[in-house]
Amino acid sequence: MLKNCLLAISVVLIIVSIYFPARHARHYSYILKDNISSQLKLHEPRNKLPNLKTCTYQNIILNSEDVDINSINERKSFQQPLAGGEFKPKQCTASINAAIIVPYRNRTRQLNIFLNYMHHFLQKQNIHYRIFIVDQNDTLPFNRAKMLNYGAKLAISLKYDCLILHDVDLLPLNTGNIYGCTKCPRHMSSSLDTFRYNLPYLTLFGGAVSILSQQFQEINGMSNKFYGWGAEDDNFYRRVIGNGLQPCRLPPEVSRYTMLFHNKEKANENRFKLLETLPENPETDGLNSLPHPHVIKLEHLYTHLVVS
Amino acid sequence: MNGMNDEGISLCCCEYYDRNNERNHILACCCNCVDVDEAFESLITSRSITQQHKSGIMSTVQDRLRIPWRGGAKQVAFDAALPIFIIPVMLLLASISVWWTIFSFTTVAMFLAFIFNFLIRTIPHTKFFFVWTITSITALYIVFEFIVIPFLEILLEENIALSIFIFGFIMCWYLMKVRTKQLNNCGGDAEFGKIASRIQNCSVCQMRIPDKDHHCVWLDCCVGKHNQCLFILSLFFAEIALLYSSNLTLTSVCHPFILYKTVLLPDDCSDVYQLFELSLSFVSAVYSLFLALAIFILLLHQLLLVSLGMTTKEWSNLPLTSKFCLGLTTKRPQDQGLFKNWSSIICWAKNSRTLLNEA
Repeated sequence: MLKNCLLAISVVLIIVSIYFPARHARHYSYILKDNISSQLKLHEPRNKLPNLKTCTYQNIILNSEDVDINSINERKSFQQPLAGGEFKPKQCTASINAAIIVPYRNRTRQLNIFLNYMHHFLQKQNIHYRIFIVDQNDTLPFNRAKMLNYGAKLAISLKYDCLILHDVDLLPLNTGNIYGCTKCPRHMSSSLDTFRYNLPYLTLFGGAVSILSQQFQEINGMSNKFYGWGAEDDNFYRRVIGNGLQPCRLPPEVSRYTMLFHNKEKANENRFKLLETLPENPETDGLNSLPHPHVIKLEHLYTHLVVS
Repeated sequence: MNGMNDEGISLCCCEYYDRNNERNHILACCCNCVDVDEAFESLITSRSITQQHKSGIMSTVQDRLRIPWRGGAKQVAFDAALPIFIIPVMLLLASISVWWTIFSFTTVAMFLAFIFNFLIRTIPHTKFFFVWTITSITALYIVFEFIVIPFLEILLEENIALSIFIFGFIMCWYLMKVRTKQLNNCGGDAEFGKIASRIQNCSVCQMRIPDKDHHCVWLDCCVGKHNQCLFILSLFFAEIALLYSSNLTLTSVCHPFILYKTVLLPDDCSDVYQLFELSLSFVSAVYSLFLALAIFILLLHQLLLVSLGMTTKEWSNLPLTSKFCLGLTTKRPQDQGLFKNWSSIICWAKNSRTLLNEA
């Protein structure tokens, strides 16, 4: 009798541990395609030309198309943006102005593909955007969050309302994935090809994220203390939640991304310990605690921010 | 050795009575072997080792190869224990680099081809192939559940679907065995005569099998008319499970692409050897694909034979030319036509139930 009970309990335990949901990729709740445009945070255009209509985004979202993944390396056609990689649509006045902030170090080939692809992709969306490449020019391990803070600070000072924190190796594969901010901070890359187009865990908040400048300032940006690969996005998620913001996502078919091939970054051994010890709502570590020396260069296709 | 003078006390889990009926301990496996001593003496004095010593060594090794068990160490057959070492070693070696993968898989394939003929001739009752199947399933499943799943790229329903296929395979296999046993418990030759036209005694499993097709060494089970349907079904489940698990694994560790907006397939596996977990998952997926290929051929062969109304034995006696014509040119005494051949297999249990109940 006791034996049978023990056997039954161990079988149940094994089954539970094998099919435990957290061991698997997850389905997630998302904003339905029809509701996306009502959830977008639009801004009154600053210097509106009287004879131009305001751009609308409903049709772009509803008539979204998949991009052929084999074409991402091809040379794309796009209009030459203003110096510093800034673009405003000509046929209407954009009510989205987004700063695309890309932390970067020493991946020239990927940067070329990224710029070529993104200008082509973004110009179809009728948004006012500018690409900021934040270059870490030192010998320390890569600090993605710190670079994003630098970029965000510059973008906010240039009056961008919407920040898009974007990795250089990610390319969006659906034209309906609008590069503007929703009212909620948005995890954009929830259907990544290297993850079998699944979401590994529900609190994932890295890759490509859009957040309103105002919200980013409220949570004091990201932590500057994460050197090396990993956990800075989890810390960011905790800051967002800790400040009462609820992150959201778009449907999987809209959120498809591809990741350009690269070797694995060296992970920060200390990352989980750091994640557990850092407070969720830090007053002193983030956007307001950046040392100042950096150089801004205006390139043809992007604004180059060199942080040393 | 340490319990020689207290024979009455029950054995600990590492003790056993050896072939001379003396109490022995697993840890003493390398002590006190007269035949090895003699053999070494012969070697040093450069005389040839006698046949008696050779077989003495072999039987001592057989006797001392034991695993700890409650109530005394249990003897394991050497040939049956072999796959438990070979398969993990093959997978671990193969995950070093691409050349190791090729080397390790070809070596094992050649070894299998050799030992297949050798064992069938020398030890027809060997459990080697049965243990090979069990070890393969276990190793592949462990790699899938504890290395591939923690990559967090596979959905819960995909894992459950795979489990259902594996469960289907094991269930069919189990029923095959149960049906053969039932049949042999249920009566004498007279009852058997009503069920089948030809009854054969299988020399390997010592059972009476109606319309015997062949004895499957991998499943350690006889295949006859009574369970051929289950056999084909189990092959089908195994095929699906292997293909599905290797697809899930490969799309996790490699770069995937979507074919026709429906199926996810791997396209670039160039960086799998950088990390041990990735390479082990990759080689186990490749091993699954090889198994799937073998099972696919077997499945096609079975489907062909059932359609023709032939048995595997009849097929293997055919000349090569008529094999090329898919056996259509030869005389088939058991053939009842395509439809009847299939219905006699699928409905075997239904048709024979009354007869079985009578018996």
